[in-house]
Amino acid sequence: MKYAAKKLVTMLITLLSISFLVYFAFDIIPGDAALAALGTDSTPERLEALREQLGLNRPFLERYFEWLANFVRGDFGVSYKYKMPVADMISSKLPITVMMALISFAMMVVVSLPLGVYTAMNSGRRIDRLIMVVNQIMMSVPHFFMGIVLTYIFGLVLKLFTPGGFVSYETDFWRFISYLIFPCIAIALPKIAMSVKLLRGSCIEEAAKDYVRTAYSKGNDTRGVLYKHVLRNAMIPVITLWGMTLADMLVGSIVIEQVFNIPGIGRILLTSISYRDYPVVEAVIVLIAAVVIVTNFCVDIIYQIADPRISVGGR
Amino acid sequence: MTKRRHKFSKVLFVSMLLTLTVALGGCAGDKEDGDSSRIAIGIPQDLSSLDPNIAEGSGTQEILFNIYEGLYKPDSDGNLIPAVASGYTMSDGGATYTFTLRDGIQFHNGNPVTVADVKYSIEKCAGLNGGDPLISAFSNIESVETPDDRSIVIRLKEPSTVFLAICATIEAAIVPADVADLETNPIGTGPYKFVSRSLQENVVLESFDDYWGEKAHIKNVTLKVIADSDAIVMNLEGGAVDMMARVSTAQAAALSDKFELLEGTMNLVQGMYLNNAVEPFDNELVRQALCYAVDKQEILDFVSEGKGTPVGSSMFPAFGKYYMEELNDVYATDVEKAKALLTEAGYPNGFSFTVKVPSNYQQHVDTAQVLAEQYKKIGVTANIELIEWESWLSDVYQNRDFEATVVGVDASTLTAGAMLSRFRSDAHNNFINYSNAEYDAEYEKALAAEAVGDDEAATVHYKECETILTLTAANVYIQDMCELVAINKKYAGYEFYPLYIQDLAKLYIVE
Amino acid sequence: MKKWKAYPVNFRIGAVITGIMLLLIVIGFFYTPYNPTAMDNSAKLAAPGLRHIMGCDNFGRDIFSRVLKGMGNTFLIALATVVIGVVCGTVVGAFTGYYGGWLDEVLMRVNDVVFAFPSILLALVFVSIFGTGKYNVVLALGIAFIPSFARIVRGEFIKYRDMDYVKSARLAGVSNLRIIFVHILPNTLTVMLSSVMIGFNNAVLAEAGMSYLGIGVQPPDASLGSMLSEAQTYLFSAPNYAVFPGLMIILMVLGFSLLADGIKER
Repeated sequence: MKYAAKKLVTMLITLLSISFLVYFAFDIIPGDAALAALGTDSTPERLEALREQLGLNRPFLERYFEWLANFVRGDFGVSYKYKMPVADMISSKLPITVMMALISFAMMVVVSLPLGVYTAMNSGRRIDRLIMVVNQIMMSVPHFFMGIVLTYIFGLVLKLFTPGGFVSYETDFWRFISYLIFPCIAIALPKIAMSVKLLRGSCIEEAAKDYVRTAYSKGNDTRGVLYKHVLRNAMIPVITLWGMTLADMLVGSIVIEQVFNIPGIGRILLTSISYRDYPVVEAVIVLIAAVVIVTNFCVDIIYQIADPRISVGGR
Repeated sequence: MTKRRHKFSKVLFVSMLLTLTVALGGCAGDKEDGDSSRIAIGIPQDLSSLDPNIAEGSGTQEILFNIYEGLYKPDSDGNLIPAVASGYTMSDGGATYTFTLRDGIQFHNGNPVTVADVKYSIEKCAGLNGGDPLISAFSNIESVETPDDRSIVIRLKEPSTVFLAICATIEAAIVPADVADLETNPIGTGPYKFVSRSLQENVVLESFDDYWGEKAHIKNVTLKVIADSDAIVMNLEGGAVDMMARVSTAQAAALSDKFELLEGTMNLVQGMYLNNAVEPFDNELVRQALCYAVDKQEILDFVSEGKGTPVGSSMFPAFGKYYMEELNDVYATDVEKAKALLTEAGYPNGFSFTVKVPSNYQQHVDTAQVLAEQYKKIGVTANIELIEWESWLSDVYQNRDFEATVVGVDASTLTAGAMLSRFRSDAHNNFINYSNAEYDAEYEKALAAEAVGDDEAATVHYKECETILTLTAANVYIQDMCELVAINKKYAGYEFYPLYIQDLAKLYIVE
Repeated sequence: MKKWKAYPVNFRIGAVITGIMLLLIVIGFFYTPYNPTAMDNSAKLAAPGLRHIMGCDNFGRDIFSRVLKGMGNTFLIALATVVIGVVCGTVVGAFTGYYGGWLDEVLMRVNDVVFAFPSILLALVFVSIFGTGKYNVVLALGIAFIPSFARIVRGEFIKYRDMDYVKSARLAGVSNLRIIFVHILPNTLTVMLSSVMIGFNNAVLAEAGMSYLGIGVQPPDASLGSMLSEAQTYLFSAPNYAVFPGLMIILMVLGFSLLADGIKER
C-alpha cells in the first residue's frame, strides 16, 4: 500500500508539472490565436479587440490557474477556431482513437502470446527461425509505411476495404470497427513483433532456471509447469512492455490516422496545432500525457502484484 | 511434446482465424452503391465556420456558397445575378442602392425572407449594431432602411461602383434575424441546406426543395475532409469520394479512367512575393534580376505538366478588361541579363535568401523548389523554409517578417481593387511593403474616376498600376495556376467560376 | 580479436547490413551519381534503369542520389539525437545514481515528466513552438531520449556505487568526479552499447514519422522519411519512388537491431 501511495503522489506531481509546462510552452509561441481567427482580413484594431475578448492580455499565472481549475472540472475551454467547447470536440473523437488503441492492443495480446510461447517451445527449429526472421523485419518497418503498404495491397489491389471510407461509430458501429482493422494491424504489427521476441526470450530464460527443473523432478507434467511457473514469471517483462505499448499505440495512431484518413484525436491535434487553436492543443496533449502517466502507474501496480520482489523503496 | 505443440498450433490458428473473420466479415458491408442521388466530395480542410458573415478562408466560403446567398451572387462567367434580391437601382451617382426583395423566397427553416432579415444581415456585416464591421468595405454604409416590405435602401457614405460586387460575396450573405447560432444551426437561402457535421470528418448537405431558382439535381451531398493530400488518390480510387477539386497534376496522372479530369484556372496570381523593404530586395535591380532568371514555362512543365497561364503582374485573365497579357513578356528569361543586373546592383557573386512557403500547398512548395534550382544559375541561393499556413498568416502576412514567399494571391470580388489596393504604400494588407509614390497616385486617380462613374478612365489607371508593378518588379510573378477537378464519370455538370466557388447544385448524375 | 565465425549469426548479418549502409552513407557524403537536387524534365518519374538505377522522382531528380543524401541526413539526425540523449542522459544518470538524495529525487521527477511525453508528442510541441526544421526535430527527439538513458545509467551507478572497489577508491582519497567518470562509467558501457543502438533505431523511426507528418528536413533537401511522404502520391505511377527509401529505412533499422541483439547474446 505504501508503494502504491508513493507512486500515486509521484503521478499527481508529474501530471501537474506536465500541465504547467504545456501551458507555458504554448503561451510563449509567437503569433496568436486572435490572428489565426481573423486571417488575412485582420486589422490591428480588430486584432486587439479580439485579444481582449479572448483574455490573451491577462497575466500568465492567472490564466494558468484558471485554466487548470476548469480543466480538472472537465471544462477544457472553448476552441478559438470552432467556437465550441473543447470537451465536446474531444469527446466525440476520443472513442475513435481509444478504440484503435484497444483493438491494436487486443491484436497484440491475442497474436503475440501464443506466438511467443510457440516459438519459445520450438526454439532452434526451422519454424522458429522463420518466425523470428519475419519478426525482426516487422520491427524495422515504420508503422506509417506499413499503413501505406496495407492500403495499397488490401485497399486498392484486393479491394478488401475502401481507403478513406471511414464511417463513424455513431453511424454504424460494425462498419466503423471493420474500417479500423487495417489501421490497427499497421499499429499492432511492430508491437506484436516486439512482444513475441521478448516473450520468447524470457520464456526460454525462465525455462532454463533451476526451479523449473525442480518442478519436473517433483513429477509435474510439462504443461502444468509451463503454465504455472514459467509463463507467470516470463510474463513480467512482457507486461511492462505492454504497458508502455498501450501509450505508444495511442500516440502511434496520430500518424496512422493520417495515412488512413481517420478523423480521430490525432487529426484534431494536428489541425489544431496548425490553426494555433491553443485550448484544443493543450487539452489534447495534457490528456494524452495523462493517459500515458496513468497507464504507467497501473503497470507499476500490476507489476508489483505480479512480482512482489520489487522493493517498497521502488528504485 | 508433439501433443502439446499441436495444441498451441491450434490456439494460434484459431486466433489468427478469428482476426481474419472479423476483418473480412466487416469488409463485406463496406461497399455501398444503389442510391444514385448522392455524391461524396472531398475537401482539403474542414470548414472554419458555418456562419457566412464571419467565415474565413476561400476553402470555407466556396462551400458556403451552396448554403447561403447574398442579395446578388456571381454566375460562372463572373457576372452578378440577382439572388435574394430580384433587382436593384442605383441613384445619387452610386451613393444609394435600392434592392427589391425576391417574391416568395424562403429560408431553409421554411420561414419567408423579410426585409427585416436583410436589414439585420447588412447591418451585422457593416457593424451598425455595434462592434466592428465584419466586412471592411461595408464600413462605407451610412444606413439601411426598409421603406416597405419589398424594398431595402442602402445609403453609402461615399459613392461606390463596386458595392454590388461586395454584396455578392458570401460574407454578405442574408441570414435570418431570429436564428442566433448559425455556427451550429446554419440557415440560409441557397440550393442546399445543412444536415449535419462531424468535426474534421464531414459535412452533410441535402437539396432544398423550396429553393427559388433551379433546384439542385443531387439530393444528398457529403463533403468529406481529406486532410492528408497524399491520401487523395487513394480516396478517389477506392471510392470513398466521387469528386475532388484542385487535385495536383501528379494526382491527376495517377487516377484511372474512372475519372474525368476537368481543367480550369485557379484565378489567382502565383508568384514569389518579395519583401520590398528588406535587403537586397529593396533594390529594384535585384528584383528585376530575379525576374529575368526565372523560366516560367519550365516551372509549369515541372509542377503542372505545362498547364497554367503565365502572368506578368498582379492580375489574372478572368478579370477580362483589366488583364494585360503583354506584361507576361517583359522579363523573358535571360540569365546573362540577370547576372549583369546583379553585378550592377553590387552583388556580382549573388547572395542567399530564405523563401517561406506554406507547407499545405504542395504546388507552391514544388514551385519554390524549381525556383531555387533556377536561381542557382545566377549564383543566388534560395533556402526553402516550409511553414504552417497559420504561421504564414502571422509571420509573413501580418508581421511581414520574411524575405520572400511563394503563394497565390486571389480576389474576393472581381473588382480591380481586390487585386491592386494592397500595393498602396499605406494599405494595411500591403504585406510586401511595396512603396511607390507613382503607384499610389495612379491608384488614387483610378478611384477618383470610379467615383464619378467613369469606368473607362478607371480601367486605364488600373492598367497603369499593373504596368508599374511589372516594371519595378514588385514581385516575381509566375502564373495563374491551372485547376484540375477530378470527378467520377458517373457525375457531370461541374462548372468553373472565376472566383473561389464550388457550385454543387449544377452537378448531376449521368446515366 | 575473435574469429568472425565465433560471433552469433545475428551479429554477423547485422554487421554486414550495417557495414553496407554505412558505406553507402559515407559515399553519399562525397559522391552521388547525379546532383541530388538537379531537375530533369525529360526524366520525370523515370522507371529504374541503367541511367537511373532507382528511377527518378516527379522533378526528374535521381532517386538513388537522393536516397544516398537522404540516408546521410537520416543518419546524422538519428546520430545527433542519440548523442544528445546519451550525453545528457549519462550525466544525469551518473550524478543521480551516484549521489542519490534530493538531487536524485528532483531530477528523477523531471525525468518522469519528460518520459511521460511520447517522443512524437514532444516533437510536435517543439515544432509548433519553434517551427519546423531538422534542428528542432533533433533537439526535441534528443530531449525525449534523455530519460531512458538516464534511467539505465542511474541503475548501473546504483549497482556499482556500493561495490568494494569503489569504496576503497573513495577511502584512498580519489575524487568523486574521478570515480564517476574513470572508475564506474567504463563499466556501464556494455549495457549502454545495446541501448544506444536501440535508441538509434527509435530515432530513425521517429525521424521518419516526423518527416511523414511534414516536419523535419525541408525540401529540396531529402531524408528517407520526407522522401516516403513525397512518394505516397506516386504510389501507382512510380512505386519504386516509395519502395527504395522504405527499404533503406528497414535495412538501416534491421542492421542495427541485429547488431544490438548480437552484442546482448555475446
